Amino acid sequence: MARTSSPARLVVALSIAAVLAVFLLYTSLAGGGTPSVAPSELGAKTGEVSLVGRVVGTPTGDPHGSGMRFTLQDIEGAHKEQVTVLYKGSVPDLFRTGRDLVVTGTQRADGTFVTTPGSMITKCPSKYQAVEPSA
Amino acid sequence: MADLGRAALLLTLGLSLYALVGGGVAAALGRRRLALSARNALYASFFSTLVASAVLVAGFVRDDFSLAYVAGHSSRELPLQYKFSAFWGGQEGSLLLWLLVLTAYASLAVWFARKRARDLVVWVTPVLAGITVAFTWLLVAVSSPFDTIAAPLDGNGLNPSLQNPYMVIHPVFLYLGYVGLAVPFAFAMGSLLSGRTDERWIVATRRWTIVAWTALGIGQLLGAHWAYEEVGWGGYYAWDPVENAALMPWLVATAYLHSVMIQEKRGMLRIWNVTLVGLAFCLSLFGTFLTRSGIVSSIHSFTQSGIGPWFLGFVVAAVVFTVTMIWLRLPQLRTKARLESLVSREAAFLYNNLLLVALCLTILWGTAWPIVSEAIRGEAVVVGRPYYDFFLRIFGLPLLLLMGIGPLIAWRRASLRGLARVFAWPVGIALATGALLIALGAGSSIPGLIAYTFAAFVLATIVLEFARGTAARRALTGESVPVAFGQLVGRNRRRYGGYVVHASIVLLAIGVAGSSAYDSVAEGRLVRGESLSVADYTVTYRALTEREGANATEIRAVLDVRRGDDELGTVRAGKNAYSAEQQVSNEVGIRSDLVTGEDLFVIAEQVREDGAVFFRVFVKPLVNLIWLAGLVFLLGSLITLWPDAREERRLATRYARAGDAADRPAT
Repeated sequence: MARTSSPARLVVALSIAAVLAVFLLYTSLAGGGTPSVAPSELGAKTGEVSLVGRVVGTPTGDPHGSGMRFTLQDIEGAHKEQVTVLYKGSVPDLFRTGRDLVVTGTQRADGTFVTTPGSMITKCPSKYQAVEPSA
Repeated sequence: MADLGRAALLLTLGLSLYALVGGGVAAALGRRRLALSARNALYASFFSTLVASAVLVAGFVRDDFSLAYVAGHSSRELPLQYKFSAFWGGQEGSLLLWLLVLTAYASLAVWFARKRARDLVVWVTPVLAGITVAFTWLLVAVSSPFDTIAAPLDGNGLNPSLQNPYMVIHPVFLYLGYVGLAVPFAFAMGSLLSGRTDERWIVATRRWTIVAWTALGIGQLLGAHWAYEEVGWGGYYAWDPVENAALMPWLVATAYLHSVMIQEKRGMLRIWNVTLVGLAFCLSLFGTFLTRSGIVSSIHSFTQSGIGPWFLGFVVAAVVFTVTMIWLRLPQLRTKARLESLVSREAAFLYNNLLLVALCLTILWGTAWPIVSEAIRGEAVVVGRPYYDFFLRIFGLPLLLLMGIGPLIAWRRASLRGLARVFAWPVGIALATGALLIALGAGSSIPGLIAYTFAAFVLATIVLEFARGTAARRALTGESVPVAFGQLVGRNRRRYGGYVVHASIVLLAIGVAGSSAYDSVAEGRLVRGESLSVADYTVTYRALTEREGANATEIRAVLDVRRGDDELGTVRAGKNAYSAEQQVSNEVGIRSDLVTGEDLFVIAEQVREDGAVFFRVFVKPLVNLIWLAGLVFLLGSLITLWPDAREERRLATRYARAGDAADRPAT
């Protein structure tokens, strides 16, 4: 096999490997991803989603006790739909009214969005353009 | 002052445009004097960019808040060193730093290559000038750091998480990495443009590529260390798009550094190498597009700005240019040399390349998936850590294994007997290590166990290589062991420096596996005097202190640490409240065990008025090996980079001939 193998053949073999890799990717992705939605798009969705929104009003409750409640609204656009979020776990330093954040979780029947503990990711306020430089 | 900055940038734009157009004409028509003047314009563009940068630095140091950029990223009470680093605290300054680094690289690379690869440099100049024009255009027309406003009394201040020594140097290293990839790209394209497809572009850029690659690697490790110590969530890498944006070009550059060795040795893989160089450069642009356009959400969210589409344009232009050039030169790039066996060093390098590129493309796929899925399904789907971890194992573990096989296996064709002779010891050591680890209870994580076994295999091959080489020298020259060792490394810097880099990657793998597969965590709210146990540690909350720092109020919880019966002193964890920025930041407490490499990592998540504190405590085994890996990596890179007069002479004679002949024969 070795003596007759040519780059062309190799390339074919490699392409097959690449196709297999993409297939692997696809199968793992189909089960692995979570949809990312804004409060106005949440609607009656019941599965696990990442909710992206802006904190409005004053948060209440204890994230390390029975849970913290706050309200999220779309970051952009005229939509006024609001979602109440029940959150437990670590609260990032940047969490505050008016900030944009992402939480992962599921919507309960009463409309409350119950998060996976510790899933909150805040975005830097626009005043700061973070330095992390991939520019 | 702002006018001077703007004028300097305009001058850079003019100079680089001249270098692009003039240099292009000179190269196409063979005008030597014009080519020389284009090259001088490229050098000059560095100095005009330097002036612009100096103006911005002066603005920060003098608290000149009439510059919108300074007002937005600094304040009067900001410590001086952070006034310097605030330079790249935002988009406009980041772009300026990029331009400064680019023009510096371009000038130096062209300067060093101007004699040895004269006909190549003629074509490289306009390519580098083209990239410079693109960035200068952004700074002049789209996103200027010299916009002025009515000066406010004080600035907004710098994001507290950036007020950290790591953030002073981490971005600089990353830029040195990203931008440095433009040099091999320009030389590869210059080589294709000139129609000379020999290996000189590789020789002329080898050191630049290693410099860029080393800087990118170190930059990422510094970023990881910063995330670990400063952001304080207990990890160091989150598979965030911005982090991936730096990792992807590094992976491709790693593949390239390996595959060029095959081209140098056997003249094979020419198309592949040019493709890799193009891919690495395009990925560094694409990463910027991803993060600056706000098209994917990231923890490091940047201001969503108008430069996203510009970068997309740059990426498309770079891809089209690369593909076109390769397409046009396909006949010259084809080689007659063939892969003789699938069990040979060439083949091992090829597998290494495929795995690295596959890993890179999977990460790219995951990073871009929210965009792709939005386009296809109308719903942005985000892939998380499980996806990346899965592929890191699938592609990363075989890569680790290959790192032990590649350097030892014979070129062209390896015989079974040869394999058995070379690998008997390393395989034995690896199996023994695996058995020992199972006995010690490391079987709780299969990927971790595999990683450690492979790591033992690779380390064994590296140690054996050093031992064999030293022994062979001693037998030949009768030198003492240290002298023979020193001579061995000194006379084969690329090879043994490479082994040292390999050793650093093994350390990295051990550290990553240890801290992610075998870590422990505990959390709870404690009042003074209460304790929390995690792994074999017990921490006891003793006191709460408050202190006024330079620009922040520092609250710290003091905890006593015990392991078994040993008193290990105290750890302080708390929060800083920054006044100017109206921002709180976590300050984690870390106790490193320098013997075992293990960290006790304490986060004070919530400090209540009554003094009760909610703690989260991690024990991370072997995590310090990751940082040690950075030092070893740097050492290995420096060994390979160290100038070697013998090698220079050898290459000079080899390519002096090639420079005269039309092209080197393909075999």
